[in-house]
Amino acid sequence: MKVLMVDKEKCTGCHQCELWCGTEIASISKELATAINETPQPVPRVYVEGKPFAMQCRHCEEAPCLDACPNGTMRRDPETGLIYVNEPTCIACWMCVMVCPFGIINPSSSLKVAIKCDRCRSMGYPICAEVCPTGAISLVERKDYRKKKF
Amino acid sequence: MRYIIIGGSAAAISAVESIRSLDRESPIDLFSEEETPLFSRVLLPYYIAEELSKPLLNFRTADFFDENRVTAHMGLKVTVIDPKTKTIETVDKKTYAFDKLLIATGGKAIVPPIPGIDKEGISTLKTMADAERIYNTKGARAVVIGAGSIGVEACISLTRRGIKTTLLEQLGQVMPTVFDAEAAAIVQRRIEDLGIEVFTGEKALKFTGDKRVQGVVTDNREIPCDMVVLSVGVRPAAELAVRAGLTIGDMKGIRIDENMMTSVQDIYAAGDVAETRDIARNAYFLNAIWPCAFEQGHIAGLNMAGRKTAYPGSYRRNSIGNFIGIPAISMGVTHAESCALQSDEDEFREIRVRTKESYKKLVLRNGKIIGAILVGQTQKAGLMSILLRKQVNVADSIPLLMSDRLSFMDLLPILRRNADQFSEPEYKELIDTGL
Repeated sequence: MKVLMVDKEKCTGCHQCELWCGTEIASISKELATAINETPQPVPRVYVEGKPFAMQCRHCEEAPCLDACPNGTMRRDPETGLIYVNEPTCIACWMCVMVCPFGIINPSSSLKVAIKCDRCRSMGYPICAEVCPTGAISLVERKDYRKKKF
Repeated sequence: MRYIIIGGSAAAISAVESIRSLDRESPIDLFSEEETPLFSRVLLPYYIAEELSKPLLNFRTADFFDENRVTAHMGLKVTVIDPKTKTIETVDKKTYAFDKLLIATGGKAIVPPIPGIDKEGISTLKTMADAERIYNTKGARAVVIGAGSIGVEACISLTRRGIKTTLLEQLGQVMPTVFDAEAAAIVQRRIEDLGIEVFTGEKALKFTGDKRVQGVVTDNREIPCDMVVLSVGVRPAAELAVRAGLTIGDMKGIRIDENMMTSVQDIYAAGDVAETRDIARNAYFLNAIWPCAFEQGHIAGLNMAGRKTAYPGSYRRNSIGNFIGIPAISMGVTHAESCALQSDEDEFREIRVRTKESYKKLVLRNGKIIGAILVGQTQKAGLMSILLRKQVNVADSIPLLMSDRLSFMDLLPILRRNADQFSEPEYKELIDTGL
């Protein structure tokens, strides 16, 4: 399966991916100037953290969130292998948050659902990779990921 | 190969999925005492609260047994396991033969020996029948006895239905196995803010009333009520295993080896009935929680289907969810003292950070995390969880771990130092290419 790869040399920490993810994926209005005033505030699924580095769900091969979810809300798309939250059935128990080894599931108390990256599964391309101005984020086959030289 | 699984909850279903990932053909017979298939026990309080209707309690779709070609015997009690002839017998005197057996019978709610316990309106909360009984009880005032996870969720559920509820706990704080006193105080205040009366350090001595319960007498008072929920804990449902002569542990759970096999060849156990090695406590322990049951069922299933796989060990993990308005997660041990096997050389440390609305605590043994409590800010709880599971030394990163700005990338130096323990592809990718 394909995973998102981030080139640490190219990531400048500009947060463009966060802005676009929050607007395009999370907001109702889909327009930044309006989105920032929405209540509840839209939350991006990508986190530009640390040094900096853009971090999204890794869609683990053995995903602890799938096992921890007590009502099958956390699901894996059999065709793409992508893991997503079926938001209508989420009961906000935060069991997935408790076990995510990357800390990328957001327990949204205002929306009462677990929020995480589904790698834009319904859009055909991940928005963060599309908008990254330096090309730091790209989509690669998992088996090729570690062959890349940095 | 003929597989038999006794039980129908997390461990059992997880084992079915693992067996089927390796063996599509062999017959699987599953026996459950519950009439209702595939419902999630941990969601029963949500059913009582009218937040989830019955179909939404399912954690797998209704066609799960058909899809996985499992013959499910719902509502059928297994009465005997015979390890010699490798058969089981059901209550209707039928015999079934197995090559591999999984005991995933879970736990039974403890019914404390309090005078008057058999009065109407008093119920445990463990089975679907329990949940329906509580849901259908017409009452105006309830007492919940035992302030563990289920007790807290039950009293909030009843409150949401407009029933005036009192929570009674005989130990000095709410959720005593989950939180320390400081975190428990935050949680208790939140519970009280919902209009629930909480009495800790107070024991139920007897129930009053003729046929139907009319009150609970404690050391300090009498609380009038017309319904009572008992949530004082669970014990392993290990009777079948005891009668079959399987080795039972100190905590009365079925003792298993690292491949989830019991003391008898080809008989496995997983979930709340199994006593496993606890990573945090470094001792055998009962961790009767959903994620452990799922992991153990998974490992048991793989081993039963022929792929030898070791279970790294269990550790407690609890999340209180959105019930109290703020997230609160706890894992491992809550205090250094609760570690069973303490050697003289072991060095324990507890680190706490408290702000107005948040609390964070780490418990370390020899520089390795053995317990964590996070209240308020919980998104990075999984990072603590993985460091606990892998038992790597984090002594030089304490300020970082206590910071709300902690990110996975900050842990890369720790991961690199212990690269052999982080062999999963997801970690390797980031170890190789990250900062």
